[in-house]
Amino acid sequence: MRLLGKKRLQWVYSIGLVLVISLFCLAPLYWIVITSFKTPGTEFRKPVEYWPSDLSLESYGVILGPQFRIQNAIKNSFIVSSAVTLGALLVNSLSAYTIARLRFKYKIESLILIQLAGMVPPIVTIAPTFVLIRSMGLLQTLWGLILPNIAYNIPIGTWLMAAYFAGLPTDLEDAAKVDGYPPFSTFWRVIMPLAAPGLFSAGVLAFMGSWGEFMLALTISLGLPDAQTVPVAILTFSQRHELQWAWVSAGIVLSLLPVIVMVLIFQKWVIKGLTAGAVKY
Amino acid sequence: MRLRPNLREPAVALLFIIPAFIGLAVFFYYPIGQTVIFSLFDLDHTTDWMNAPFVGLNNYADVIRSRQFWLSLRFTLIFSIVSVFLQFWIGLAMAMATFAVVPRLRGVLRAIIIIPWAIPQIIQAAMWKWLYNTDVGLIGDVLVRTGLVDSPPLFLADPRLAMGAVIFAYVWKTASVTSIFLMGGLAMVPDHLTDAAKVDGARAWMRFWRITVPLIMPTILVTLLFRTRDALRAFDIIYGLTGGGPGTQTEVLSSFAYKFYFTFVEYGLGSAYALITFVLVMALSLLYLKRIQPHLRFRS
Repeated sequence: MRLLGKKRLQWVYSIGLVLVISLFCLAPLYWIVITSFKTPGTEFRKPVEYWPSDLSLESYGVILGPQFRIQNAIKNSFIVSSAVTLGALLVNSLSAYTIARLRFKYKIESLILIQLAGMVPPIVTIAPTFVLIRSMGLLQTLWGLILPNIAYNIPIGTWLMAAYFAGLPTDLEDAAKVDGYPPFSTFWRVIMPLAAPGLFSAGVLAFMGSWGEFMLALTISLGLPDAQTVPVAILTFSQRHELQWAWVSAGIVLSLLPVIVMVLIFQKWVIKGLTAGAVKY
Repeated sequence: MRLRPNLREPAVALLFIIPAFIGLAVFFYYPIGQTVIFSLFDLDHTTDWMNAPFVGLNNYADVIRSRQFWLSLRFTLIFSIVSVFLQFWIGLAMAMATFAVVPRLRGVLRAIIIIPWAIPQIIQAAMWKWLYNTDVGLIGDVLVRTGLVDSPPLFLADPRLAMGAVIFAYVWKTASVTSIFLMGGLAMVPDHLTDAAKVDGARAWMRFWRITVPLIMPTILVTLLFRTRDALRAFDIIYGLTGGGPGTQTEVLSSFAYKFYFTFVEYGLGSAYALITFVLVMALSLLYLKRIQPHLRFRS
Protein backbone atom coordinates (compact mmCIF):
# COMPACT_ATOMS: atom_id res chain seq x y z
CA MET A 1 0.00 0.00 0.00
CA ARG A 2 2.76 2.41 0.96
CA LEU A 3 4.67 1.42 -2.16
CA LEU A 4 1.69 2.17 -4.35
CA GLY A 5 1.32 5.58 -2.74
CA LYS A 6 4.97 6.36 -3.33
CA LYS A 7 4.70 5.42 -6.95
CA ARG A 8 1.67 7.60 -7.44
CA LEU A 9 3.47 10.51 -5.80
CA GLN A 10 6.37 10.00 -8.18
CA TRP A 11 4.01 10.18 -11.14
CA VAL A 12 2.38 13.31 -9.80
CA TYR A 13 5.60 15.27 -9.46
CA SER A 14 6.92 13.88 -12.73
CA ILE A 15 3.90 15.17 -14.57
CA GLY A 16 4.22 18.45 -12.71
CA LEU A 17 7.84 18.82 -13.85
CA VAL A 18 6.95 17.99 -17.44
CA LEU A 19 4.17 20.58 -17.41
CA VAL A 20 6.36 23.35 -16.00
CA ILE A 21 9.17 22.66 -18.46
CA SER A 22 6.69 22.43 -21.35
CA LEU A 23 5.29 25.80 -20.38
CA PHE A 24 8.76 27.31 -20.52
CA CYS A 25 9.91 25.60 -23.71
CA LEU A 26 6.71 25.40 -25.72
CA ALA A 27 4.50 28.36 -24.78
CA PRO A 28 6.29 30.75 -27.18
CA LEU A 29 5.87 28.21 -29.98
CA TYR A 30 2.22 27.63 -29.14
CA TRP A 31 1.65 31.36 -29.41
CA ILE A 32 3.21 31.48 -32.88
CA VAL A 33 1.23 28.45 -34.04
CA ILE A 34 -2.16 29.84 -32.97
CA THR A 35 -1.32 33.25 -34.41
CA SER A 36 -0.64 31.60 -37.74
CA PHE A 37 -4.17 30.14 -37.75
CA LYS A 38 -5.90 33.40 -36.92
CA THR A 39 -7.58 35.24 -39.78
CA PRO A 40 -5.02 37.90 -40.79
CA GLY A 41 -5.95 41.13 -39.03
CA THR A 42 -7.66 39.46 -36.08
CA GLU A 43 -4.36 38.80 -34.34
CA PHE A 44 -4.58 42.36 -33.01
CA ARG A 45 -8.10 41.96 -31.62
CA LYS A 46 -8.62 42.37 -27.89
CA PRO A 47 -9.12 40.55 -25.61
CA VAL A 48 -6.35 38.28 -26.80
CA GLU A 49 -7.61 34.89 -27.96
CA TYR A 50 -5.63 31.90 -26.73
CA TRP A 51 -7.65 29.65 -28.92
CA PRO A 52 -8.66 31.29 -32.21
CA SER A 53 -12.45 31.46 -32.55
CA ASP A 54 -12.17 30.99 -36.29
CA LEU A 55 -9.38 28.82 -37.60
CA SER A 56 -8.12 30.15 -40.91
CA LEU A 57 -5.54 28.92 -43.37
CA GLU A 58 -5.43 32.25 -45.16
CA SER A 59 -1.96 33.18 -43.88
CA TYR A 60 -0.52 29.93 -45.18
CA GLY A 61 -1.99 30.74 -48.59
CA VAL A 62 -0.34 34.15 -48.52
CA ILE A 63 3.05 32.93 -47.34
CA LEU A 64 3.18 30.19 -49.97
CA GLY A 65 1.75 32.48 -52.66
CA PRO A 66 3.58 34.52 -55.30
CA GLN A 67 4.16 37.44 -52.91
CA PHE A 68 6.45 35.49 -50.58
CA ARG A 69 7.13 31.98 -51.76
CA ILE A 70 8.61 30.77 -48.47
CA GLN A 71 9.10 27.41 -50.15
CA ASN A 72 11.97 28.94 -52.13
CA ALA A 73 13.82 29.86 -48.98
CA ILE A 74 13.16 26.42 -47.50
CA LYS A 75 14.48 24.80 -50.66
CA ASN A 76 17.58 27.03 -50.64
CA SER A 77 18.22 26.15 -47.01
CA PHE A 78 17.89 22.45 -47.75
CA ILE A 79 20.33 22.64 -50.65
CA VAL A 80 22.87 24.64 -48.66
CA SER A 81 22.63 22.57 -45.50
CA SER A 82 22.78 19.22 -47.32
CA ALA A 83 25.79 20.27 -49.36
CA VAL A 84 27.50 21.65 -46.26
CA THR A 85 26.81 18.44 -44.36
CA LEU A 86 28.33 16.23 -47.05
CA GLY A 87 31.33 18.49 -47.59
CA ALA A 88 31.97 18.98 -43.89
CA LEU A 89 31.74 15.27 -43.10
CA LEU A 90 34.30 14.44 -45.76
CA VAL A 91 36.76 17.20 -44.85
CA ASN A 92 36.37 16.70 -41.10
CA SER A 93 36.63 12.95 -41.01
CA LEU A 94 39.81 13.06 -43.09
CA SER A 95 41.43 15.59 -40.78
CA ALA A 96 40.06 13.86 -37.68
CA TYR A 97 41.53 10.56 -38.91
CA THR A 98 44.94 12.18 -39.14
CA ILE A 99 44.62 13.59 -35.65
CA ALA A 100 43.19 10.53 -33.96
CA ARG A 101 44.89 7.69 -35.80
CA LEU A 102 47.85 8.51 -38.03
CA ARG A 103 51.47 9.17 -37.22
CA PHE A 104 51.92 12.87 -37.80
CA LYS A 105 54.60 15.15 -36.44
CA TYR A 106 52.49 18.29 -36.14
CA LYS A 107 49.42 16.88 -34.42
CA ILE A 108 49.37 19.30 -31.50
CA GLU A 109 50.05 22.28 -33.74
CA SER A 110 47.26 21.20 -36.10
CA LEU A 111 44.83 20.74 -33.27
CA ILE A 112 45.62 24.19 -31.90
CA LEU A 113 45.22 25.75 -35.34
CA ILE A 114 41.83 24.08 -35.73
CA GLN A 115 40.56 24.89 -32.26
CA LEU A 116 41.73 28.52 -32.43
CA ALA A 117 39.54 28.97 -35.46
CA GLY A 118 36.61 27.81 -33.36
CA MET A 119 37.06 30.78 -31.06
CA VAL A 120 36.86 33.38 -33.80
CA PRO A 121 33.68 35.48 -33.57
CA PRO A 122 31.99 35.61 -36.99
CA ILE A 123 32.12 39.42 -36.95
CA VAL A 124 35.92 39.24 -37.31
CA THR A 125 35.81 37.39 -40.61
CA ILE A 126 32.61 38.73 -42.15
CA ALA A 127 33.90 41.81 -44.02
CA PRO A 128 36.87 40.16 -45.75
CA THR A 129 34.73 37.08 -46.48
CA PHE A 130 32.19 39.33 -48.15
CA VAL A 131 34.95 40.93 -50.25
CA LEU A 132 36.36 37.50 -51.09
CA ILE A 133 33.02 36.07 -52.15
CA ARG A 134 32.34 39.17 -54.21
CA SER A 135 35.65 38.78 -56.00
CA MET A 136 34.86 35.12 -56.66
CA GLY A 137 31.59 36.25 -58.25
CA LEU A 138 29.58 34.19 -55.79
CA LEU A 139 27.44 36.92 -54.22
CA GLN A 140 23.76 35.90 -54.19
CA THR A 141 24.61 32.31 -55.02
CA LEU A 142 24.21 29.23 -52.89
CA TRP A 143 27.87 28.33 -53.46
CA GLY A 144 28.77 31.57 -51.72
CA LEU A 145 27.10 30.11 -48.63
CA ILE A 146 28.11 26.47 -48.99
CA LEU A 147 31.88 26.95 -49.10
CA PRO A 148 32.27 29.20 -46.03
CA ASN A 149 29.80 27.13 -44.02
CA ILE A 150 31.83 23.98 -44.63
CA ALA A 151 34.83 25.82 -43.22
CA TYR A 152 32.80 27.12 -40.25
CA ASN A 153 32.01 23.52 -39.31
CA ILE A 154 35.65 22.37 -39.32
CA PRO A 155 36.58 23.16 -35.68
CA ILE A 156 33.64 21.43 -34.00
CA GLY A 157 33.26 18.73 -36.68
CA THR A 158 36.90 17.67 -36.58
CA TRP A 159 36.74 17.64 -32.82
CA LEU A 160 33.68 15.39 -32.74
CA MET A 161 35.00 12.97 -35.34
CA ALA A 162 38.44 12.78 -33.74
CA ALA A 163 36.84 11.92 -30.40
CA TYR A 164 34.80 9.25 -32.15
CA PHE A 165 37.72 7.75 -34.11
CA ALA A 166 39.84 7.66 -30.96
CA GLY A 167 37.26 5.40 -29.35
CA LEU A 168 37.17 2.84 -32.17
CA PRO A 169 39.07 -0.46 -31.88
CA THR A 170 42.31 -0.59 -33.86
CA ASP A 171 42.49 -4.26 -34.84
CA LEU A 172 40.55 -4.04 -38.11
CA GLU A 173 42.66 -1.13 -39.20
CA ASP A 174 45.88 -2.98 -38.31
CA ALA A 175 44.70 -5.98 -40.27
CA ALA A 176 44.02 -3.75 -43.28
CA LYS A 177 47.50 -2.26 -42.97
CA VAL A 178 49.13 -5.67 -42.79
CA ASP A 179 47.21 -6.72 -45.86
CA GLY A 180 48.70 -3.73 -47.64
CA TYR A 181 45.52 -1.74 -48.14
CA PRO A 182 46.38 1.73 -49.43
CA PRO A 183 45.64 4.35 -46.75
CA PHE A 184 42.66 5.91 -48.44
CA SER A 185 40.85 2.62 -48.85
CA THR A 186 41.60 1.72 -45.23
CA PHE A 187 39.99 4.98 -44.31
CA TRP A 188 37.07 4.67 -46.70
CA ARG A 189 36.26 0.97 -46.41
CA VAL A 190 37.32 0.12 -42.87
CA ILE A 191 37.10 3.24 -40.74
CA MET A 192 34.15 5.07 -42.24
CA PRO A 193 31.66 2.20 -41.93
CA LEU A 194 32.70 1.71 -38.30
CA ALA A 195 32.27 5.41 -37.63
CA ALA A 196 28.76 5.63 -39.07
CA PRO A 197 27.03 6.55 -35.78
CA GLY A 198 29.58 9.29 -35.09
CA LEU A 199 29.26 10.57 -38.65
CA PHE A 200 25.53 10.69 -38.22
CA SER A 201 25.75 12.85 -35.07
CA ALA A 202 28.31 15.16 -36.62
CA GLY A 203 26.18 15.33 -39.76
CA VAL A 204 23.01 16.38 -37.97
CA LEU A 205 24.94 19.08 -36.10
CA ALA A 206 26.56 20.35 -39.31
CA PHE A 207 23.14 20.49 -40.96
CA MET A 208 21.59 22.41 -38.08
CA GLY A 209 24.56 24.76 -37.85
CA SER A 210 24.34 25.90 -41.44
CA TRP A 211 20.53 25.88 -41.36
CA GLY A 212 20.56 28.55 -38.67
CA GLU A 213 23.58 30.55 -39.89
CA PHE A 214 22.49 34.16 -40.30
CA MET A 215 25.23 36.77 -40.51
CA LEU A 216 26.86 35.46 -43.67
CA ALA A 217 23.54 34.53 -45.28
CA LEU A 218 22.28 38.07 -44.72
CA THR A 219 25.44 39.63 -46.09
CA ILE A 220 25.72 37.43 -49.17
CA SER A 221 22.05 37.61 -50.21
CA LEU A 222 22.18 41.43 -50.54
CA GLY A 223 18.50 41.65 -49.65
CA LEU A 224 17.34 39.84 -52.79
CA PRO A 225 15.36 36.59 -52.64
CA ASP A 226 17.44 34.46 -55.05
CA ALA A 227 19.87 33.12 -52.49
CA GLN A 228 17.92 33.76 -49.31
CA THR A 229 17.90 30.97 -46.81
CA VAL A 230 15.17 30.54 -44.20
CA PRO A 231 16.65 32.79 -41.48
CA VAL A 232 17.16 35.70 -43.87
CA ALA A 233 13.77 35.24 -45.54
CA ILE A 234 11.88 35.21 -42.23
CA LEU A 235 13.70 38.28 -40.98
CA THR A 236 13.03 40.14 -44.23
CA PHE A 237 9.31 39.25 -44.13
CA SER A 238 8.96 40.27 -40.53
CA GLN A 239 10.62 43.61 -41.18
CA ARG A 240 8.73 44.35 -44.37
CA HIS A 241 5.34 43.38 -42.94
CA GLU A 242 5.69 44.41 -39.38
CA LEU A 243 1.97 44.47 -38.73
CA GLN A 244 1.10 41.19 -40.44
CA TRP A 245 1.95 38.84 -37.63
CA ALA A 246 -0.41 36.11 -38.84
CA TRP A 247 1.52 35.93 -42.13
CA VAL A 248 4.90 36.06 -40.44
CA SER A 249 3.83 33.39 -37.94
CA ALA A 250 2.69 31.09 -40.74
CA GLY A 251 6.12 31.57 -42.35
CA ILE A 252 7.84 30.76 -39.08
CA VAL A 253 5.74 27.62 -38.58
CA LEU A 254 6.40 26.33 -42.09
CA SER A 255 10.12 27.01 -41.87
CA LEU A 256 10.44 25.38 -38.45
CA LEU A 257 8.42 22.30 -39.22
CA PRO A 258 11.10 20.41 -41.19
CA VAL A 259 13.92 21.00 -38.67
CA ILE A 260 11.84 20.31 -35.59
CA VAL A 261 10.62 17.04 -37.09
CA MET A 262 14.18 16.17 -38.04
CA VAL A 263 15.57 16.94 -34.61
CA LEU A 264 12.86 14.94 -32.88
CA ILE A 265 13.47 11.94 -35.13
CA PHE A 266 17.24 12.12 -34.71
CA GLN A 267 17.06 13.22 -31.07
CA LYS A 268 19.36 10.47 -29.88
CA TRP A 269 22.14 11.46 -32.25
CA VAL A 270 21.73 15.17 -31.58
CA ILE A 271 22.12 14.61 -27.86
CA LYS A 272 25.08 12.29 -28.42
CA GLY A 273 26.81 14.81 -30.65
CA LEU A 274 26.22 17.77 -28.37
CA THR A 275 27.24 15.96 -25.20
CA ALA A 276 30.33 14.48 -26.85
CA GLY A 277 31.41 18.02 -27.62
CA ALA A 278 31.05 19.03 -23.99
CA VAL A 279 32.02 15.91 -22.10
CA LYS A 280 34.96 14.59 -24.08
CA TYR A 281 36.85 17.83 -24.02
CA MET B 1 55.01 -4.96 -48.21
CA ARG B 2 54.37 -4.38 -44.54
CA LEU B 3 56.78 -1.47 -44.40
CA ARG B 4 55.55 0.56 -47.31
CA PRO B 5 52.26 1.85 -45.87
CA ASN B 6 54.04 2.72 -42.63
CA LEU B 7 56.69 4.74 -44.39
CA ARG B 8 54.07 6.72 -46.20
CA GLU B 9 51.96 7.37 -43.16
CA PRO B 10 53.13 10.92 -42.32
CA ALA B 11 52.67 11.90 -45.96
CA VAL B 12 49.17 10.46 -45.98
CA ALA B 13 48.41 12.23 -42.70
CA LEU B 14 49.41 15.52 -44.25
CA LEU B 15 47.35 14.82 -47.35
CA PHE B 16 44.28 14.05 -45.25
CA ILE B 17 44.52 17.16 -43.13
CA ILE B 18 45.20 19.54 -46.01
CA PRO B 19 41.55 20.08 -47.06
CA ALA B 20 40.73 21.24 -43.52
CA PHE B 21 43.75 23.55 -43.53
CA ILE B 22 42.70 25.06 -46.85
CA GLY B 23 39.21 25.71 -45.46
CA LEU B 24 40.59 27.30 -42.32
CA ALA B 25 43.13 29.37 -44.25
CA VAL B 26 40.58 30.74 -46.71
CA PHE B 27 37.67 31.40 -44.37
CA PHE B 28 39.38 32.02 -41.01
CA TYR B 29 43.04 32.93 -41.13
CA TYR B 30 43.09 34.98 -44.32
CA PRO B 31 40.01 37.03 -43.26
CA ILE B 32 41.51 37.62 -39.80
CA GLY B 33 44.70 38.93 -41.40
CA GLN B 34 42.69 41.07 -43.76
CA THR B 35 40.62 42.49 -40.88
CA VAL B 36 43.83 43.41 -39.06
CA ILE B 37 45.00 45.24 -42.18
CA PHE B 38 41.61 46.94 -42.64
CA SER B 39 41.76 48.19 -39.08
CA LEU B 40 44.92 50.16 -39.84
CA PHE B 41 43.46 52.15 -42.73
CA ASP B 42 40.87 54.84 -43.18
CA LEU B 43 38.36 52.92 -45.28
CA ASP B 44 35.40 55.18 -45.90
CA HIS B 45 33.07 53.47 -48.38
CA THR B 46 35.82 51.32 -49.84
CA THR B 47 37.69 48.10 -49.13
CA ASP B 48 40.58 49.05 -51.39
CA TRP B 49 43.08 49.50 -48.60
CA MET B 50 46.07 49.72 -50.93
CA ASN B 51 44.87 53.12 -52.09
CA ALA B 52 43.51 54.28 -48.75
CA PRO B 53 45.32 56.46 -46.21
CA PHE B 54 47.23 54.50 -43.56
CA VAL B 55 46.20 55.68 -40.12
CA GLY B 56 48.10 53.31 -37.84
CA LEU B 57 46.26 52.71 -34.60
CA ASN B 58 44.01 55.74 -34.99
CA ASN B 59 40.91 53.61 -35.56
CA TYR B 60 41.50 51.88 -32.24
CA ALA B 61 42.04 55.23 -30.56
CA ASP B 62 38.78 56.47 -32.08
CA VAL B 63 36.95 53.41 -30.85
CA ILE B 64 38.31 53.65 -27.32
CA ARG B 65 37.58 57.36 -27.16
CA SER B 66 33.96 56.94 -28.19
CA ARG B 67 31.34 56.74 -25.48
CA GLN B 68 29.36 54.29 -27.54
CA PHE B 69 32.17 51.75 -27.39
CA TRP B 70 32.12 51.68 -23.60
CA LEU B 71 28.34 51.46 -23.56
CA SER B 72 28.26 48.53 -25.96
CA LEU B 73 31.14 46.84 -24.14
CA ARG B 74 29.19 47.26 -20.94
CA PHE B 75 26.06 45.75 -22.41
CA THR B 76 28.07 42.92 -24.02
CA LEU B 77 29.40 42.02 -20.57
CA ILE B 78 26.05 42.39 -18.78
CA PHE B 79 24.38 40.37 -21.51
CA SER B 80 26.97 37.59 -21.26
CA ILE B 81 27.18 37.36 -17.49
CA VAL B 82 23.44 37.49 -16.84
CA SER B 83 22.47 35.21 -19.70
CA VAL B 84 25.11 32.58 -18.91
CA PHE B 85 24.08 32.62 -15.26
CA LEU B 86 20.40 32.14 -16.11
CA GLN B 87 21.02 29.56 -18.83
CA PHE B 88 23.17 27.58 -16.48
CA TRP B 89 20.65 27.35 -13.64
CA ILE B 90 17.61 26.85 -15.87
CA GLY B 91 19.55 24.36 -17.98
CA LEU B 92 20.77 22.45 -14.95
CA ALA B 93 17.29 22.36 -13.42
CA MET B 94 15.85 20.98 -16.66
CA ALA B 95 18.67 18.45 -17.02
CA MET B 96 18.17 17.22 -13.46
CA ALA B 97 14.44 17.02 -14.06
CA THR B 98 15.04 14.50 -16.87
CA PHE B 99 16.71 12.23 -14.31
CA ALA B 100 14.13 12.87 -11.60
CA VAL B 101 10.99 12.01 -13.55
CA VAL B 102 9.67 8.47 -13.91
CA PRO B 103 11.58 6.66 -16.69
CA ARG B 104 8.57 6.56 -18.98
CA LEU B 105 8.43 10.35 -19.23
CA ARG B 106 12.19 10.79 -19.69
CA GLY B 107 12.16 10.63 -23.49
CA VAL B 108 9.24 13.05 -23.80
CA LEU B 109 10.91 15.53 -21.51
CA ARG B 110 14.16 15.39 -23.46
CA ALA B 111 12.24 15.97 -26.69
CA ILE B 112 10.53 19.03 -25.20
CA ILE B 113 13.81 20.46 -23.94
CA ILE B 114 15.57 20.02 -27.25
CA ILE B 115 12.97 21.91 -29.32
CA PRO B 116 14.10 25.51 -28.60
CA TRP B 117 17.62 24.49 -29.62
CA ALA B 118 16.35 23.56 -33.09
CA ILE B 119 15.01 27.05 -33.78
CA PRO B 120 17.51 29.35 -35.51
CA GLN B 121 18.33 32.34 -33.36
CA ILE B 122 17.15 34.91 -35.86
CA ILE B 123 13.77 33.20 -36.16
CA GLN B 124 13.49 33.37 -32.40
CA ALA B 125 14.16 37.06 -32.64
CA ALA B 126 11.15 37.38 -34.96
CA MET B 127 9.04 35.20 -32.64
CA TRP B 128 9.92 37.17 -29.55
CA LYS B 129 9.21 40.45 -31.26
CA TRP B 130 5.63 39.29 -31.53
CA LEU B 131 5.59 37.78 -28.03
CA TYR B 132 6.75 41.12 -26.64
CA ASN B 133 4.15 43.12 -28.59
CA THR B 134 2.81 45.67 -26.15
CA ASP B 135 -0.88 45.62 -27.07
CA VAL B 136 -1.59 42.00 -27.84
CA GLY B 137 1.66 40.11 -27.13
CA LEU B 138 1.61 36.95 -25.06
CA ILE B 139 3.99 38.13 -22.34
CA GLY B 140 2.33 41.47 -21.73
CA ASP B 141 -1.16 39.94 -21.80
CA VAL B 142 -0.23 37.23 -19.31
CA LEU B 143 1.35 39.81 -16.99
CA VAL B 144 -1.79 41.95 -17.11
CA ARG B 145 -4.19 39.03 -16.67
CA THR B 146 -2.30 37.69 -13.66
CA GLY B 147 -2.44 41.17 -12.18
CA LEU B 148 1.34 41.62 -12.01
CA VAL B 149 1.15 44.90 -13.94
CA ASP B 150 -1.65 47.32 -14.66
CA SER B 151 -0.85 48.01 -18.26
CA PRO B 152 1.42 46.00 -20.56
CA PRO B 153 5.03 47.22 -20.43
CA LEU B 154 6.84 48.58 -23.47
CA PHE B 155 9.27 45.68 -23.58
CA LEU B 156 11.33 46.75 -26.55
CA ALA B 157 10.88 50.53 -26.38
CA ASP B 158 11.74 51.09 -22.73
CA PRO B 159 15.54 51.24 -22.52
CA ARG B 160 15.86 49.21 -19.34
CA LEU B 161 13.24 46.63 -20.18
CA ALA B 162 14.72 46.16 -23.64
CA MET B 163 17.96 44.87 -22.11
CA GLY B 164 16.08 42.33 -20.01
CA ALA B 165 13.85 41.37 -22.91
CA VAL B 166 16.82 40.60 -25.17
CA ILE B 167 18.53 38.61 -22.46
CA PHE B 168 15.43 36.56 -21.68
CA ALA B 169 14.78 35.74 -25.34
CA TYR B 170 18.40 34.59 -25.68
CA VAL B 171 18.22 32.53 -22.49
CA TRP B 172 15.09 30.79 -23.72
CA LYS B 173 16.99 29.22 -26.58
CA THR B 174 20.33 28.67 -24.96
CA ALA B 175 19.02 27.07 -21.75
CA SER B 176 18.08 24.24 -24.06
CA VAL B 177 21.57 23.47 -25.33
CA THR B 178 23.09 24.10 -21.90
CA SER B 179 20.70 21.54 -20.51
CA ILE B 180 21.71 18.96 -23.12
CA PHE B 181 25.41 19.53 -22.32
CA LEU B 182 24.76 19.03 -18.63
CA MET B 183 22.65 15.92 -19.22
CA GLY B 184 25.80 14.36 -20.64
CA GLY B 185 27.63 15.08 -17.40
CA LEU B 186 24.79 13.96 -15.16
CA ALA B 187 24.46 10.69 -17.05
CA MET B 188 27.95 9.79 -15.85
CA VAL B 189 27.21 10.27 -12.16
CA PRO B 190 26.92 6.72 -10.86
CA ASP B 191 23.57 6.05 -9.15
CA HIS B 192 25.13 4.10 -6.30
CA LEU B 193 26.93 7.19 -4.98
CA THR B 194 23.81 9.30 -4.61
CA ASP B 195 21.89 6.26 -3.37
CA ALA B 196 24.50 5.60 -0.70
CA ALA B 197 24.29 9.20 0.44
CA LYS B 198 20.52 8.90 0.53
CA VAL B 199 20.82 5.85 2.78
CA ASP B 200 23.21 7.79 5.00
CA GLY B 201 20.49 10.38 5.39
CA ALA B 202 22.03 13.19 3.33
CA ARG B 203 19.46 15.77 2.32
CA ALA B 204 18.79 16.35 -1.38
CA TRP B 205 20.48 19.74 -1.26
CA MET B 206 23.59 18.28 0.36
CA ARG B 207 23.71 15.43 -2.14
CA PHE B 208 23.56 17.99 -4.91
CA TRP B 209 26.41 20.19 -3.64
CA ARG B 210 28.67 17.48 -2.21
CA ILE B 211 28.27 14.71 -4.76
CA THR B 212 26.66 15.77 -8.00
CA VAL B 213 28.35 19.14 -8.52
CA PRO B 214 31.95 17.98 -7.86
CA LEU B 215 31.44 14.97 -10.11
CA ILE B 216 30.14 16.97 -13.06
CA MET B 217 32.54 19.87 -12.51
CA PRO B 218 34.52 19.22 -15.72
CA THR B 219 31.31 19.25 -17.75
CA ILE B 220 30.13 22.39 -15.98
CA LEU B 221 33.34 24.23 -16.78
CA VAL B 222 33.37 23.22 -20.42
CA THR B 223 29.71 24.16 -20.71
CA LEU B 224 30.36 27.56 -19.18
CA LEU B 225 33.29 28.10 -21.54
CA PHE B 226 31.20 27.31 -24.61
CA ARG B 227 28.22 29.31 -23.42
CA THR B 228 30.23 32.39 -22.45
CA ARG B 229 32.07 32.35 -25.75
CA ASP B 230 28.76 32.14 -27.57
CA ALA B 231 27.21 34.95 -25.51
CA LEU B 232 30.17 37.30 -26.03
CA ARG B 233 29.78 37.04 -29.77
CA ALA B 234 25.96 37.05 -29.88
CA PHE B 235 24.67 38.93 -32.86
CA ASP B 236 21.51 37.43 -34.38
CA ILE B 237 19.17 37.91 -31.46
CA ILE B 238 20.10 41.56 -31.07
CA TYR B 239 20.07 42.35 -34.77
CA GLY B 240 16.65 40.75 -35.17
CA LEU B 241 14.91 41.71 -31.95
CA THR B 242 15.92 45.29 -31.19
CA GLY B 243 18.42 46.20 -33.89
CA GLY B 244 20.49 47.58 -31.03
CA GLY B 245 17.69 49.92 -29.94
CA PRO B 246 16.01 51.76 -28.42
CA GLY B 247 18.67 54.26 -29.44
CA THR B 248 21.83 52.21 -28.98
CA GLN B 249 20.80 50.75 -25.65
CA THR B 250 21.08 47.07 -26.54
CA GLU B 251 23.97 47.37 -28.97
CA VAL B 252 26.69 44.75 -28.38
CA LEU B 253 30.19 44.86 -29.86
CA SER B 254 29.31 42.49 -32.71
CA SER B 255 26.13 44.28 -33.73
CA PHE B 256 27.88 47.63 -33.56
CA ALA B 257 30.77 46.41 -35.69
CA TYR B 258 28.29 45.06 -38.23
CA LYS B 259 26.69 48.52 -38.44
CA PHE B 260 30.06 50.08 -39.09
CA TYR B 261 30.69 47.62 -41.89
CA PHE B 262 27.42 47.51 -43.72
CA THR B 263 25.42 50.59 -42.66
CA PHE B 264 28.08 53.29 -42.25
CA VAL B 265 30.46 51.43 -44.62
CA GLU B 266 33.47 52.30 -42.49
CA TYR B 267 35.51 49.10 -42.77
CA GLY B 268 38.44 50.48 -40.79
CA LEU B 269 36.45 51.33 -37.68
CA GLY B 270 34.30 48.20 -38.00
CA SER B 271 37.44 46.05 -38.11
CA ALA B 272 38.78 47.71 -34.99
CA TYR B 273 35.52 46.92 -33.18
CA ALA B 274 35.54 43.33 -34.43
CA LEU B 275 39.12 42.73 -33.32
CA ILE B 276 38.45 44.11 -29.87
CA THR B 277 35.58 41.61 -29.59
CA PHE B 278 37.96 38.88 -30.70
CA VAL B 279 40.58 39.77 -28.08
CA LEU B 280 37.88 39.73 -25.42
CA VAL B 281 36.66 36.27 -26.43
CA MET B 282 40.20 34.90 -26.68
CA ALA B 283 41.30 36.29 -23.34
CA LEU B 284 38.30 34.82 -21.62
CA SER B 285 38.69 31.44 -23.31
CA LEU B 286 42.33 31.18 -22.32
CA LEU B 287 41.52 32.15 -18.76
CA TYR B 288 38.88 29.46 -18.63
CA LEU B 289 41.05 26.81 -20.25
CA LYS B 290 43.72 27.43 -17.66
CA ARG B 291 41.13 26.95 -14.96
CA ILE B 292 39.76 23.79 -16.55
CA GLN B 293 43.10 22.05 -17.07
CA PRO B 294 43.54 20.42 -13.64
CA HIS B 295 40.04 18.98 -13.88
CA LEU B 296 40.81 17.50 -17.26
CA ARG B 297 43.85 15.66 -16.01
CA PHE B 298 41.74 14.28 -13.24
CA ARG B 299 39.33 12.83 -15.77
CA SER B 300 41.80 10.98 -17.93
